[in-house]
Amino acid sequence: MIRKFLHKFRASDRNSYWFISPYVIFFLAFTAYPLIFSFILMFHRWNIVSPMEWVGLKNFERLVLDSLFLKSLGNTVMFLLIHIPLQIVVALGFALLLHSRVRFRGLFRALYFLPVVVSGVVVTILWQQLYSYDYGVLNSVLSSLGLPRMPWLVDASFAMPSIALMATWKNVGIYIILFLVGLQDIPSELYEAAAIDGASRSKQFFRITLPMLNPTMIVIMVLSTIGGFSLFIEPYVMTGGGPMQSTLSGMLYIYNQAFYFNHMGYAATLGFALALVILAVVVIQRKVIEKDSVA
Amino acid sequence: MASVGIKLHLLAAIALFLGGCSDHRESAQISSMELTYWPAPNPEEIRLADTLVGVWNRLHPDIRVRMQPIPVSQSTEEVLLAAIAGKTTPDVCSNILPGAMLEYTSAGGLIALDEFSDFDSVALGRTPKDVLETFRSGDHYFQIPWKTNPVMMFYNLRLLEEAGITKLPKTYGEYLAAARTVTRDTNGDGQTDIWMGERDIRPIWWQRLFDFFPFYIAASGGKTLFENGSVAFVNKSSEEVFQFFQDCYRNGYFPHTYFQGGDPFLLEKKASHISGPWEVATLRKFAPQMRYDIVPVPVPDDYRGPVYTFGNFKNIAIFSTTRHPREAWEFVKFLITAEHDLLLLEICNQLPIRGDLTANPLFGDYFRRNPKMTTFARQAAFTREMDAAPDLKEIFDAISQEYEECCVYGKTPPAEAIRAAAQRTQLIVNWNK
Amino acid sequence: MKAAAKYLILLLGAVIFAYPFLWMIAGSLKPELEISKLSLWSDHFSIRNFFTVISKVPVGRAFLNSLLVSLSVTVFVVLFGSMVGYALARLKFFGQKMLYVLILFTMMIPFQITLIPQYVMMVKLGLTDTYLSLIAPSMMSGLSILLFRQFFMSIPQSLIDAARLDGCSDAGILFRIIYPLAKPVIITVSILTFMTSWNDVLWPLIVVRDRSLMTMPQLVTIFVTGGEAESQLGLLLAAATLLALPVIIAYAFFQRYFIQSMASSGIKG
Repeated sequence: MIRKFLHKFRASDRNSYWFISPYVIFFLAFTAYPLIFSFILMFHRWNIVSPMEWVGLKNFERLVLDSLFLKSLGNTVMFLLIHIPLQIVVALGFALLLHSRVRFRGLFRALYFLPVVVSGVVVTILWQQLYSYDYGVLNSVLSSLGLPRMPWLVDASFAMPSIALMATWKNVGIYIILFLVGLQDIPSELYEAAAIDGASRSKQFFRITLPMLNPTMIVIMVLSTIGGFSLFIEPYVMTGGGPMQSTLSGMLYIYNQAFYFNHMGYAATLGFALALVILAVVVIQRKVIEKDSVA
Repeated sequence: MASVGIKLHLLAAIALFLGGCSDHRESAQISSMELTYWPAPNPEEIRLADTLVGVWNRLHPDIRVRMQPIPVSQSTEEVLLAAIAGKTTPDVCSNILPGAMLEYTSAGGLIALDEFSDFDSVALGRTPKDVLETFRSGDHYFQIPWKTNPVMMFYNLRLLEEAGITKLPKTYGEYLAAARTVTRDTNGDGQTDIWMGERDIRPIWWQRLFDFFPFYIAASGGKTLFENGSVAFVNKSSEEVFQFFQDCYRNGYFPHTYFQGGDPFLLEKKASHISGPWEVATLRKFAPQMRYDIVPVPVPDDYRGPVYTFGNFKNIAIFSTTRHPREAWEFVKFLITAEHDLLLLEICNQLPIRGDLTANPLFGDYFRRNPKMTTFARQAAFTREMDAAPDLKEIFDAISQEYEECCVYGKTPPAEAIRAAAQRTQLIVNWNK
Repeated sequence: MKAAAKYLILLLGAVIFAYPFLWMIAGSLKPELEISKLSLWSDHFSIRNFFTVISKVPVGRAFLNSLLVSLSVTVFVVLFGSMVGYALARLKFFGQKMLYVLILFTMMIPFQITLIPQYVMMVKLGLTDTYLSLIAPSMMSGLSILLFRQFFMSIPQSLIDAARLDGCSDAGILFRIIYPLAKPVIITVSILTFMTSWNDVLWPLIVVRDRSLMTMPQLVTIFVTGGEAESQLGLLLAAATLLALPVIIAYAFFQRYFIQSMASSGIKG
């Protein structure tokens, strides 16, 4: 059986195999091996300097009892609940504006896209200063208008929403572009036909534009979700996970466990759990959206 | 008489030389013994190390000691752990954090010092027994106590006097009463300008070593987090400490935001500061005009007895990779003689862990010239160290999270916060079994 | 919607997205006390902060490190990605479909699960604090393979047949015939890869501790979180400006390509 399978790798294909060999080697070294090793690590305790110690299911026991990990997942959900809707609304709004006949489209597009290319570290440092309670521009503007200063990053209920706002500001440029492409792909005949039928502008929007943009919105949701669960540098630099662990993201928690407390085995377990959560959320999202679009 | 002695010595030397000549290699080995010694990477301790190593090498040309400072960019504990893993450890290191003992010994990095026959006499001859006991690891001693930097309370006398406070606060009640008048807005812009105290509000684990931990040791009369291996800090004392800090924040005596613009104590923006002997040199350099005094940290109003505190110890250990354990031990003993303890005082302004610090006339002159250090010297006998528990960082991190929630943000009552901290600490201990 | 209102909103957007950067640059030049003001102007502009930052951390070195790492990664990704993409698009061999599925599958694996084991691997191989550890794990990108494959599938077979008749080997076909035609996709992949590599901070933070090897975003992160700025806001903003400057300059010249690249990646995603 195996011989038959191996025989299928013909010598005449040798050329092709040369071409794909870089990928195969890379896959084995940086995907397959780490995946397998991750499964081994999860059953051990290791702090790099001492030898690895088998602990069986202890890491999983710990995971189940770990309220802090659960909190980090909750923080991420809070982040996504604000970030995704805000992003879609803002990106769609600007995309619609740019899609209509306006001048200087290229210039506006370029400016809106600027935060995307700049490093997340720059954006984080910048916003940390903008959000500063005593010295930040936002609060000095508010207080000069007679309004109270907002505890952007120092109140547990404000901190994660503030980070979500910053993340939206940073990424909305990509999604404006994606919506623009989506809008351009909608055949204008659809609108003409609807206009002839007497449909109002808003009816056209809800019956034609939105449904046709569904695929784009799915892409945005999936990308934002994956991005949200990978949130690291923003809380790391801005808040260190605080105040009161309200901005602790899954990735930051894993980083702390692995590199601050040296719990390599447990960190591997957390990584695995987080990956499962991400996959589950993405799958659920797709199912829900697809149901909607069919209806 | 002397000439006979010299002749005898010469004979002996010649005999030894002839005897050693036959095996060239062996004598070459003996004469080229080298020990590596790692002191802490701060300039004063390097200067001290230089001096001590110089004297040693003159006295022992056959056992040379080479000093190597630890790289500054990383914590010593990280560097030592990596060295243990890579088997690149020195023979002797004098920057051993007692809290990291478990990590060093579980990796098999250190040798048991009590195996040396004269360990007991040397150690007990220098350090009081109850202090020495806190450095035992199981059945053995893998470290010998060296120096301590007791954490105490600094008060800015001018700021207190301007608020009408003449007596330095010694209890929580006195401190909070003083805070009421000291904390004020001096220029009418609606923002506080003088604070009673200030702490970094970020829950960084080692910050607890300068608020909760020393205060708890004081309030409980010398207890630490663990007792006989079990979590033992759920009691009235720890709750009182949390309550104290919660009051400080709730009443606005400590700032709620991260202080920016420099060190508030040096800038005379806050009246009290929790720190150790190194602060004396810092103040002399950066705020020479400040009038200040040093007292033990405050205790609950109903506390009676001597005030203990966190000792911030650093000790000396010999690593298992050493090829000359006996010689290394000799060097270690050399480092802790009374004369060299005096150099530690003179050069580094840090206190050796000696029971006779205030009694021994050898140190009298130093303390006369440095009266502020006398306060620390008297406190040195009443200090405690971090427990040698596994995952200490994470334990203090857990306490820091509860401290943040309860004290800084006032969201939970102290009793609940302490219980939650102890629960997570117990979880962490269980995870390491 | 009235035109005036449209332009107002668009302009508001421009201000929201661009003004913070101007404020950041201005803040790095202003004296400390004026930073919290909204206005960009100050009577006491000075570049002192930049000199302080440069004297405290090796910014120039980090810039070169980032350049080296990102360029290397880009070259490898383009080279290997195009090879595999070509094999998937125009060659026939046993296992082709399997490979395609495998690539799609690996793209779906969240990096969270491989991060720690990859780090452990680097430690065990003694490769931490080396350029190799920064470059190697990013040498291949599933997305680029797909982008190349997509593009190569649209190349007329006649071109390739003609080249074969001329005696060209597959490698020759790829590099001499296809590459000149593939400029758009090469640029797209290059920009995407370069930007992703340049902005990556998590991996460098993990595998590199030696300051002389740190990438630029990593060094600035360490500077900001490490307390060396001693809570002087001007220094923090100066460090951020230094980090942002290379990208902003490159963007000013090539913004069209940037936007196109990111857009096409999103569509494929």
